[in-house]
Amino acid sequence: MNKVDQIKVINDMINEARTNLKPLSFNLVFWGIFINIMSIIHYTFPSFIQQTNYSAGIYWIFLPMIGMIYMTRWNIKKYKEMGYSTTLGRVIKIVWAVFGLGWLMISGLAFYQGINPVPDILFLLGLVSVLTGAIIKFKPIILGGIFLLIFVLSLYIYPGQNALIVNIIGITLGLLIPGILLNRMKTNE
Amino acid sequence: MNKELEKLLFNPVRLKILSFLFSVENASFKKLIEVSEATKGNISVQIKKLEDAGLIKVRKKFEGNYPLTLCKITSKGKTSFKVFLKSLQSYGINESADVDFKNRI
Repeated sequence: MNKVDQIKVINDMINEARTNLKPLSFNLVFWGIFINIMSIIHYTFPSFIQQTNYSAGIYWIFLPMIGMIYMTRWNIKKYKEMGYSTTLGRVIKIVWAVFGLGWLMISGLAFYQGINPVPDILFLLGLVSVLTGAIIKFKPIILGGIFLLIFVLSLYIYPGQNALIVNIIGITLGLLIPGILLNRMKTNE
Repeated sequence: MNKELEKLLFNPVRLKILSFLFSVENASFKKLIEVSEATKGNISVQIKKLEDAGLIKVRKKFEGNYPLTLCKITSKGKTSFKVFLKSLQSYGINESADVDFKNRI
Protein backbone atom coordinates (compact mmCIF):
# COMPACT_ATOMS: atom_id res chain seq x y z
CA MET A 1 0.00 0.00 0.00
CA ASN A 2 1.70 3.20 -1.13
CA LYS A 3 1.24 6.72 0.29
CA VAL A 4 -1.32 7.79 -2.33
CA ASP A 5 -3.44 4.72 -1.55
CA GLN A 6 -3.22 5.53 2.15
CA ILE A 7 -4.42 9.09 1.53
CA LYS A 8 -7.30 7.74 -0.56
CA VAL A 9 -8.31 5.33 2.21
CA ILE A 10 -8.22 8.13 4.80
CA ASN A 11 -10.34 10.41 2.60
CA ASP A 12 -12.88 7.66 1.91
CA MET A 13 -13.22 6.99 5.64
CA ILE A 14 -13.63 10.70 6.49
CA ASN A 15 -16.38 10.91 3.87
CA GLU A 16 -18.06 7.80 5.30
CA ALA A 17 -18.05 9.39 8.75
CA ARG A 18 -20.09 12.46 7.84
CA THR A 19 -23.05 13.21 10.05
CA ASN A 20 -26.27 11.92 8.57
CA LEU A 21 -28.77 14.78 8.72
CA LYS A 22 -31.76 12.81 7.43
CA PRO A 23 -32.96 11.87 10.95
CA LEU A 24 -32.89 15.57 11.92
CA SER A 25 -35.01 16.41 8.89
CA PHE A 26 -37.52 13.71 9.82
CA ASN A 27 -37.70 15.16 13.36
CA LEU A 28 -38.41 18.64 11.99
CA VAL A 29 -41.08 17.38 9.57
CA PHE A 30 -42.68 15.19 12.23
CA TRP A 31 -42.99 18.06 14.73
CA GLY A 32 -44.09 20.45 12.00
CA ILE A 33 -46.99 18.17 11.05
CA PHE A 34 -47.78 17.11 14.63
CA ILE A 35 -48.02 20.66 16.04
CA ASN A 36 -49.91 21.91 13.01
CA ILE A 37 -52.51 19.13 13.31
CA MET A 38 -52.86 19.90 17.02
CA SER A 39 -53.25 23.62 16.30
CA ILE A 40 -55.82 23.00 13.54
CA ILE A 41 -57.87 20.71 15.81
CA HIS A 42 -57.72 23.29 18.61
CA TYR A 43 -58.66 26.10 16.19
CA THR A 44 -61.53 24.12 14.64
CA PHE A 45 -62.99 22.72 17.88
CA PRO A 46 -62.14 25.34 20.53
CA SER A 47 -65.15 24.47 22.67
CA PHE A 48 -64.10 20.82 22.78
CA ILE A 49 -60.45 21.52 23.63
CA GLN A 50 -61.28 24.29 26.11
CA GLN A 51 -64.30 22.61 27.69
CA THR A 52 -62.71 22.88 31.16
CA ASN A 53 -60.01 25.12 32.61
CA TYR A 54 -57.53 22.24 32.46
CA SER A 55 -58.42 20.49 29.19
CA ALA A 56 -56.37 22.81 26.90
CA GLY A 57 -53.36 22.51 29.20
CA ILE A 58 -53.67 18.75 29.27
CA TYR A 59 -54.08 18.71 25.46
CA TRP A 60 -50.92 20.81 24.92
CA ILE A 61 -48.79 18.96 27.48
CA PHE A 62 -49.73 15.31 27.18
CA LEU A 63 -50.03 14.94 23.41
CA PRO A 64 -46.56 16.49 22.81
CA MET A 65 -45.21 14.24 25.56
CA ILE A 66 -46.49 11.22 23.62
CA GLY A 67 -44.82 12.68 20.52
CA MET A 68 -41.58 13.15 22.44
CA ILE A 69 -41.60 9.56 23.69
CA TYR A 70 -42.26 8.28 20.15
CA MET A 71 -39.51 10.46 18.62
CA THR A 72 -36.98 9.59 21.33
CA ARG A 73 -37.53 5.89 20.65
CA TRP A 74 -37.30 6.52 16.89
CA ASN A 75 -34.05 8.49 17.29
CA ILE A 76 -32.48 5.78 19.48
CA LYS A 77 -33.46 3.15 16.90
CA LYS A 78 -31.97 5.25 14.05
CA TYR A 79 -28.75 5.78 16.00
CA LYS A 80 -28.43 2.03 16.52
CA GLU A 81 -29.04 1.41 12.82
CA MET A 82 -26.37 3.96 11.85
CA GLY A 83 -23.85 2.33 14.17
CA TYR A 84 -21.78 5.43 14.88
CA SER A 85 -22.08 8.82 16.52
CA THR A 86 -20.38 12.10 15.74
CA THR A 87 -19.72 15.20 17.82
CA LEU A 88 -22.05 17.21 15.57
CA GLY A 89 -24.82 14.65 16.06
CA ARG A 90 -24.34 14.78 19.85
CA VAL A 91 -24.48 18.60 19.88
CA ILE A 92 -27.76 18.58 17.90
CA LYS A 93 -29.20 15.96 20.26
CA ILE A 94 -28.30 18.06 23.34
CA VAL A 95 -29.72 21.27 21.85
CA TRP A 96 -33.08 19.62 21.07
CA ALA A 97 -33.20 17.76 24.38
CA VAL A 98 -32.80 21.11 26.17
CA PHE A 99 -35.59 22.51 23.99
CA GLY A 100 -37.85 19.57 24.88
CA LEU A 101 -37.22 20.17 28.56
CA GLY A 102 -37.84 23.91 28.15
CA TRP A 103 -41.06 23.21 26.26
CA LEU A 104 -42.38 20.99 29.05
CA MET A 105 -41.39 23.53 31.72
CA ILE A 106 -43.00 26.46 29.88
CA SER A 107 -46.18 24.45 29.17
CA GLY A 108 -46.36 23.25 32.78
CA LEU A 109 -45.85 26.74 34.22
CA ALA A 110 -48.32 28.30 31.77
CA PHE A 111 -50.84 25.59 32.67
CA TYR A 112 -50.27 26.31 36.38
CA GLN A 113 -50.55 30.09 35.99
CA GLY A 114 -53.33 29.98 33.41
CA ILE A 115 -51.42 31.93 30.74
CA ASN A 116 -50.89 31.36 27.01
CA PRO A 117 -47.60 29.42 26.44
CA VAL A 118 -47.46 29.95 22.64
CA PRO A 119 -45.21 33.08 22.52
CA ASP A 120 -42.66 31.64 24.96
CA ILE A 121 -42.53 28.25 23.20
CA LEU A 122 -42.20 29.87 19.77
CA PHE A 123 -39.44 32.11 21.11
CA LEU A 124 -37.51 29.12 22.46
CA LEU A 125 -38.12 27.21 19.22
CA GLY A 126 -36.87 30.19 17.19
CA LEU A 127 -33.65 30.34 19.20
CA VAL A 128 -33.07 26.59 18.93
CA SER A 129 -33.77 26.64 15.17
CA VAL A 130 -31.28 29.46 14.57
CA LEU A 131 -28.74 27.58 16.69
CA THR A 132 -29.31 24.29 14.83
CA GLY A 133 -29.14 25.98 11.42
CA ALA A 134 -25.89 27.72 12.40
CA ILE A 135 -24.36 24.47 13.72
CA ILE A 136 -25.12 22.47 10.58
CA LYS A 137 -24.63 25.49 8.28
CA PHE A 138 -28.08 25.20 6.69
CA LYS A 139 -29.62 28.57 5.89
CA PRO A 140 -33.33 27.55 5.58
CA ILE A 141 -33.33 26.46 9.25
CA ILE A 142 -31.68 29.73 10.32
CA LEU A 143 -34.27 31.66 8.29
CA GLY A 144 -37.08 29.54 9.75
CA GLY A 145 -35.84 30.40 13.24
CA ILE A 146 -35.70 34.11 12.38
CA PHE A 147 -39.30 33.91 11.04
CA LEU A 148 -40.37 32.34 14.33
CA LEU A 149 -38.71 35.15 16.31
CA ILE A 150 -40.46 37.73 14.11
CA PHE A 151 -43.82 36.03 14.76
CA VAL A 152 -43.17 36.08 18.51
CA LEU A 153 -42.36 39.76 18.29
CA SER A 154 -45.61 40.35 16.38
CA LEU A 155 -47.54 38.51 19.12
CA TYR A 156 -46.15 40.94 21.69
CA ILE A 157 -46.73 44.03 19.51
CA TYR A 158 -50.25 42.96 18.42
CA PRO A 159 -51.54 40.80 21.29
CA GLY A 160 -55.02 40.58 19.72
CA GLN A 161 -53.86 38.06 17.10
CA ASN A 162 -55.04 34.46 17.24
CA ALA A 163 -52.09 32.60 18.77
CA LEU A 164 -53.11 29.34 17.05
CA ILE A 165 -52.96 30.89 13.57
CA VAL A 166 -49.58 32.44 14.41
CA ASN A 167 -48.50 29.04 15.72
CA ILE A 168 -49.52 27.28 12.48
CA ILE A 169 -47.73 29.83 10.26
CA GLY A 170 -44.68 29.94 12.53
CA ILE A 171 -44.34 26.16 12.77
CA THR A 172 -44.81 25.76 9.00
CA LEU A 173 -42.10 28.31 8.21
CA GLY A 174 -39.84 27.42 11.13
CA LEU A 175 -39.98 23.62 11.18
CA LEU A 176 -41.95 22.04 8.35
CA ILE A 177 -40.49 23.80 5.31
CA PRO A 178 -36.84 23.74 6.55
CA GLY A 179 -37.30 20.06 7.46
CA ILE A 180 -38.56 19.21 3.95
CA LEU A 181 -35.70 21.21 2.38
CA LEU A 182 -33.15 19.43 4.58
CA ASN A 183 -34.62 16.07 3.63
CA ARG A 184 -34.32 16.91 -0.07
CA MET A 185 -30.67 17.87 0.30
CA LYS A 186 -28.54 15.27 -1.47
CA THR A 187 -25.36 15.60 0.55
CA ASN A 188 -24.75 15.29 4.26
CA GLU A 189 -22.58 17.51 6.42
CA MET B 1 7.43 8.93 12.45
CA ASN B 2 7.36 5.96 14.78
CA LYS B 3 8.25 2.84 12.79
CA GLU B 4 5.82 0.74 14.82
CA LEU B 5 2.95 3.07 14.01
CA GLU B 6 3.88 3.10 10.34
CA LYS B 7 3.94 -0.69 10.34
CA LEU B 8 0.62 -0.84 12.18
CA LEU B 9 -1.12 1.49 9.75
CA PHE B 10 0.39 -0.12 6.68
CA ASN B 11 -2.44 -2.65 6.91
CA PRO B 12 -5.44 -1.18 5.00
CA VAL B 13 -8.06 -2.57 7.39
CA ARG B 14 -6.33 -1.05 10.43
CA LEU B 15 -5.87 2.24 8.57
CA LYS B 16 -9.57 2.26 7.64
CA ILE B 17 -10.63 1.55 11.23
CA LEU B 18 -8.41 4.24 12.72
CA SER B 19 -9.33 6.83 10.04
CA PHE B 20 -13.03 6.21 10.61
CA LEU B 21 -12.73 6.34 14.41
CA PHE B 22 -10.68 9.53 14.11
CA SER B 23 -13.68 11.22 12.45
CA VAL B 24 -16.44 9.96 14.76
CA GLU B 25 -17.04 9.74 18.51
CA ASN B 26 -17.55 5.99 18.52
CA ALA B 27 -18.59 3.24 16.15
CA SER B 28 -20.07 -0.22 16.49
CA PHE B 29 -18.28 -3.37 15.42
CA LYS B 30 -20.97 -3.85 12.76
CA LYS B 31 -20.33 -0.40 11.29
CA LEU B 32 -16.58 -1.03 11.20
CA ILE B 33 -17.19 -4.25 9.26
CA GLU B 34 -19.32 -2.25 6.81
CA VAL B 35 -16.83 0.56 6.24
CA SER B 36 -13.69 -1.58 6.16
CA GLU B 37 -15.27 -4.27 3.94
CA ALA B 38 -13.41 -6.90 5.96
CA THR B 39 -14.61 -10.18 7.38
CA LYS B 40 -15.70 -10.50 11.03
CA GLY B 41 -12.68 -12.61 11.90
CA ASN B 42 -10.19 -10.28 10.22
CA ILE B 43 -11.65 -7.17 11.80
CA SER B 44 -11.60 -8.74 15.27
CA VAL B 45 -7.88 -9.42 14.87
CA GLN B 46 -7.12 -5.91 13.60
CA ILE B 47 -9.19 -4.26 16.35
CA LYS B 48 -7.30 -6.31 18.93
CA LYS B 49 -3.96 -5.13 17.49
CA LEU B 50 -5.06 -1.48 17.56
CA GLU B 51 -6.35 -1.93 21.11
CA ASP B 52 -3.10 -3.56 22.24
CA ALA B 53 -1.19 -0.61 20.78
CA GLY B 54 -3.38 1.70 22.89
CA LEU B 55 -4.78 3.50 19.84
CA ILE B 56 -8.41 2.51 20.37
CA LYS B 57 -10.61 1.49 23.27
CA VAL B 58 -13.16 -1.31 22.99
CA ARG B 59 -16.26 -1.46 25.15
CA LYS B 60 -18.59 -4.43 25.19
CA LYS B 61 -22.13 -4.27 26.49
CA PHE B 62 -25.53 -5.83 26.02
CA GLU B 63 -28.54 -4.18 24.44
CA GLY B 64 -31.50 -6.33 25.20
CA ASN B 65 -30.29 -9.83 24.49
CA TYR B 66 -27.74 -8.77 21.88
CA PRO B 67 -24.06 -8.02 22.48
CA LEU B 68 -22.87 -4.63 21.28
CA THR B 69 -19.20 -3.77 20.76
CA LEU B 70 -18.32 -0.10 20.61
CA CYS B 71 -14.91 1.19 19.54
CA LYS B 72 -13.51 4.61 20.29
CA ILE B 73 -10.20 6.24 19.43
CA THR B 74 -8.02 7.10 22.45
CA SER B 75 -6.13 10.37 22.89
CA LYS B 76 -2.93 8.45 22.11
CA GLY B 77 -4.64 7.19 18.95
CA LYS B 78 -5.63 10.72 17.94
CA THR B 79 -2.12 12.07 18.49
CA SER B 80 -0.54 9.16 16.63
CA PHE B 81 -2.94 9.51 13.74
CA LYS B 82 -2.22 13.24 13.46
CA VAL B 83 1.51 12.45 13.35
CA PHE B 84 0.79 9.87 10.66
CA LEU B 85 -1.20 12.42 8.60
CA LYS B 86 1.54 14.99 8.92
CA SER B 87 4.09 12.45 7.75
CA LEU B 88 1.94 11.75 4.69
CA GLN B 89 1.79 15.47 3.95
CA SER B 90 5.54 15.76 4.33
CA TYR B 91 5.90 13.47 1.30
CA GLY B 92 4.31 16.27 -0.72
CA ILE B 93 1.81 13.95 -2.39
CA ASN B 94 -1.17 15.75 -0.94
CA GLU B 95 -0.73 18.36 -3.68
CA SER B 96 -1.62 15.86 -6.38
CA ALA B 97 -4.11 13.73 -4.50
CA ASP B 98 -7.62 14.92 -3.77
CA VAL B 99 -7.37 15.25 -0.02
CA ASP B 100 -9.56 17.09 2.40
CA PHE B 101 -8.22 15.82 5.68
CA LYS B 102 -5.87 18.76 6.17
CA ASN B 103 -8.58 20.70 7.97
CA ARG B 104 -8.97 17.93 10.50
CA ILE B 105 -5.41 18.14 11.84
